[in-house]
Amino acid sequence: MTTPGLPLWVTVPGTLLLVAGGLLAMIGALGLVRLRDFPSRMHAPTIGTTLGSGCVLVTSMLVSSAMLGRPVAHELLITLFVVVTAPITAMLLMRAAVYRDAIRKRSRR
Amino acid sequence: MTLALIVLLPFLGSLCAACLPASARNAEAWLAGIVATGCAALAASLFPEIAAGHVVRLSIPWLPQAGLELYLRMDGYAWLFTLLVSVMGALVVLYARYYMSPRDPVPRFFSFLMAFMGSMLGIVLSGNLIQLVVFWELTSITSFMLIAYWYHRPEARHGARMAAIVTGGGGLSLLLAVLMLGQIVGSYSLDDVLAAGDLIRAHRWYPAMLVLLAAAVLTKSAQFPFHFWLPHAMAAPTPVSAYLHSATMVKAGVFLLARLWPALAGTELWFWLICGGGAASLLLGAASATFQRDMKAVLAYSTVSHLGLITMLLGMNSELALIAAVFHMMNHATFKASLFMATGIVDHETGTRDLSRLSGLRHAMPLTATVAFVAAGAMAGVPLLNGFLSKEMFFTESLQAGGTGGLGIALPALAGLAGVFSVAYSLRFIHQVFFGPPATALPRTPREPTRGMLLPSALLVLGCLLIGMLPERTVGGALAIAAHALLGDRLPDYRLAIWHGFTASLLMSFVALAGGTALYVVLYVRGRALRRTPLISRLSGKRGFDVLNVTIFRGARRFVRTAFSQRLQVQLLLIVGAAAVAALLPLWRGGLAFGDAPLTPLDPTFAMLWLAGAICAVGAAVQAKFHRLMALIMVGCVGLVTSLTFAWFSAPDLALTQLTVEVITTVLILLGLRWLPRRIQFQEPLRHTLRARLRRSRDAAFAIAIGVGMAALAFAMLTRPGASRLGPFFLQNALEPAGGRNVVNVILVDFRAFDTLGEITVVGIVALVVYALLRRFRPAAESIDVPRAQREGLIGGGAHADPRALLPEGDLKIPAVLGRLLLPLAALVSVYFLLRGHDAPGGGFVGGLILATAMIVQYMVGGALWVESRLRIHPQVWIALGLLAAVAAGLAAWFAARPFLTAQVLELHAPLIGTVHLSSVLLFDLGVYLLVVGAALLMLVALAHQSLRSPRRELPGAVDGAAL
Repeated sequence: MTTPGLPLWVTVPGTLLLVAGGLLAMIGALGLVRLRDFPSRMHAPTIGTTLGSGCVLVTSMLVSSAMLGRPVAHELLITLFVVVTAPITAMLLMRAAVYRDAIRKRSRR
Repeated sequence: MTLALIVLLPFLGSLCAACLPASARNAEAWLAGIVATGCAALAASLFPEIAAGHVVRLSIPWLPQAGLELYLRMDGYAWLFTLLVSVMGALVVLYARYYMSPRDPVPRFFSFLMAFMGSMLGIVLSGNLIQLVVFWELTSITSFMLIAYWYHRPEARHGARMAAIVTGGGGLSLLLAVLMLGQIVGSYSLDDVLAAGDLIRAHRWYPAMLVLLAAAVLTKSAQFPFHFWLPHAMAAPTPVSAYLHSATMVKAGVFLLARLWPALAGTELWFWLICGGGAASLLLGAASATFQRDMKAVLAYSTVSHLGLITMLLGMNSELALIAAVFHMMNHATFKASLFMATGIVDHETGTRDLSRLSGLRHAMPLTATVAFVAAGAMAGVPLLNGFLSKEMFFTESLQAGGTGGLGIALPALAGLAGVFSVAYSLRFIHQVFFGPPATALPRTPREPTRGMLLPSALLVLGCLLIGMLPERTVGGALAIAAHALLGDRLPDYRLAIWHGFTASLLMSFVALAGGTALYVVLYVRGRALRRTPLISRLSGKRGFDVLNVTIFRGARRFVRTAFSQRLQVQLLLIVGAAAVAALLPLWRGGLAFGDAPLTPLDPTFAMLWLAGAICAVGAAVQAKFHRLMALIMVGCVGLVTSLTFAWFSAPDLALTQLTVEVITTVLILLGLRWLPRRIQFQEPLRHTLRARLRRSRDAAFAIAIGVGMAALAFAMLTRPGASRLGPFFLQNALEPAGGRNVVNVILVDFRAFDTLGEITVVGIVALVVYALLRRFRPAAESIDVPRAQREGLIGGGAHADPRALLPEGDLKIPAVLGRLLLPLAALVSVYFLLRGHDAPGGGFVGGLILATAMIVQYMVGGALWVESRLRIHPQVWIALGLLAAVAAGLAAWFAARPFLTAQVLELHAPLIGTVHLSSVLLFDLGVYLLVVGAALLMLVALAHQSLRSPRRELPGAVDGAAL
């Protein structure tokens, strides 16, 4: 974002939010690598997908509104999609993991 | 205009007939009868012009730049044939009305019968040779359909296939001959060809062309050595046999011979080819006919023989013989069609056509017996009937054509011998069926048929009698017109009369009558001899045909076995290898020059991205064989990296498309993986044999070489200065003439819309093929079980979830609710992408994929049965609507007199909404959208339905997934 015309009230919070979003995503990725078992790992990336992408989306709203000179709210729709779809993914993954563990337990017996 | 109507009317009638309900027997017959009589009336209305010696022409230009036009031409000869075809058609329709059973699907019958009539009229009236070939092939196709009308009978299918292959091969040979003829003359117009006889005969291509033409004509007219298909074509319903296989279609060959006679005849080669083929058929057909048991087989072989007679006359290189040939074409059509109809009546009323079972039918059906008796007399050549006249002309010609040498004795002897046989089989046909003691134990009790069935046959026999007794008064005029049209100034002096004085040919006629009677008496007394044709019964053309057929099929199979592999790896290797060779050939000569365009500096983030992508790609290749799921996930990652790359370089359209395609593909492969073994676990030694290592290193080397080559090609193209010239053109022209801000979309739906139309058509076809292939597919028994997790009750849901429940039980409840919430939102987004596609990233393709993905989510969380019990989607309808919309968008340009697919803009000023900018491009994109949704869903749903299948060996389960 090197557009010179952007006012300060957009660039400062926008930059901060972007950095925060990036950090959150990285923390989530690190967690995915570092955490021990599947249920704990499930939590880590969700920080990135919810809060992280939320930060980026707010930045996008700010910047677009400033650039076009009118309020832009398309990002709310994206947020809605993220909110609706993320649980589906998470639940299906958990379901697979539960199943896998059950199979493992059974074969160990 | 009348000419066009004559050809068009039967085809229109055929279309109408196809749309009528199956039970409308009377309506069908009325329609066909009106069409046939209408054609006859139209032809008759042209009589004054034709009689004055004019040629009626109609030329409709089609592609004048390429010299293509629709050219119809009617002279006296064509007029005579038009009348023959349409009048015969009317009689056969009347007959068929009573012959066909109410249980038969008559629309198909009358539809094809009329289509045949139209094609035959097309042959007769064609003034352009290529056009003639087209109609010629159409008669072969309609004949195939009509022979196979009762396709539940194996002999009908076999006979139809044989007829189609033999006459189809002849059609191919005709096309070659016509092309050569066109090259020799320099024009395909019949007028030009007929005027260039000397040029043609002197040309060095003449022999080759004539052999090809003879092959075409001899196959079509069932002449030796291709005669064998005709007896097998008798599996057709009898009206078809009467119409196609005696009166008209088999006459197409001799028709063409006579048509081209002025241009081609007169050479030694012509005599040997045509006269030789005709003579062989004449004798073989007559001899075989004498020993058949089936009434229709007798008539079929007799048709071969009579067509042989006509062919022989045409081959004699004499004008008088040509006139005799045309005369006999007419005569043969009248008496043979009438005999076929009588045979059909006998078959219809008694239930059998077997000569050895039938006997004494004259008591039960005296009228039929009389009609058949007179017609058979004409076939045998009894005086005062029309067959006698043309046969006597034939004998006269055969006495003169051979000259003075050995041929001068052989030809008349052969003609006489054939005459003897023809009398014998005619006699046998009548005597065994209608005379003798009344037959017992027939399938049905014989009685006289309804009048409508007898009428056409009787009318034809009346024609035989009238022509036989008053030839000059009845057909003399028509024959003179036809002969004049063929020969022009070369018309010889001839006289149609019963009595020419005591001549050698008259003597031959009586010798044939006496000899035939004697032969029949001898054979009848010996009785047993009537079973099988002596000497030539082993000489079976059918057997030869079958052997050839099987040999070709076996050879093809062997070739496929040796040249191809069923293993996908090998096929892929071959395809990629062939592509590499094709790419290397030009490079070998020109070399690969890299351009010197400045390179973009490498961004470290981007490098990391590509490193991740590369690792995933290599990982996928390594795991592809041993852990398919993991390989699939890594391939998905590669796709994601590609998509990000597009986004990185400011190509949002490509990125979007790549992303949606990636999603759909992954789901598709996942659904397929369900039916494969989960993981291949090789024994360690097997994995490390020398052979396996060699194969793997070969594949790796090959893959690396191809990949590097592709990268080098892409690099070379992108660094050259030429690559940058295309972009500005599109950028400049997208907005102004084309009216769109999204250049990528404008390219797809406007600049190269025709390509897109072709592509979406292919996508639709592929989807239908996948569906058709999977419809019959049954998974292997070992992978048919429900997945282990579902089976052991660890998780719920799946394809077998209860379709009545509002929500699935168990752990799928929440995803199901959320997934359903998603559907309307996703539909909204997909439409949004479709609508804004022309000016911003998006378009029909992406939008369609998004909607398809949303639908797939419904299938995944709800199960196929649940979704389909609530929401019936008909992907085939979507595909059809999509194609229609795209084509309609293209056709819209025609109303503005612009080329196909030119974008049309419509500005609407509506109240409230304001100005609405409507473009045909949007309609086109809507077509793409609909088609993509339909195609993607059809494939995915077809795959998803596999989980509802049971293996073949079990009984069809309670859940049948075939209803899609």
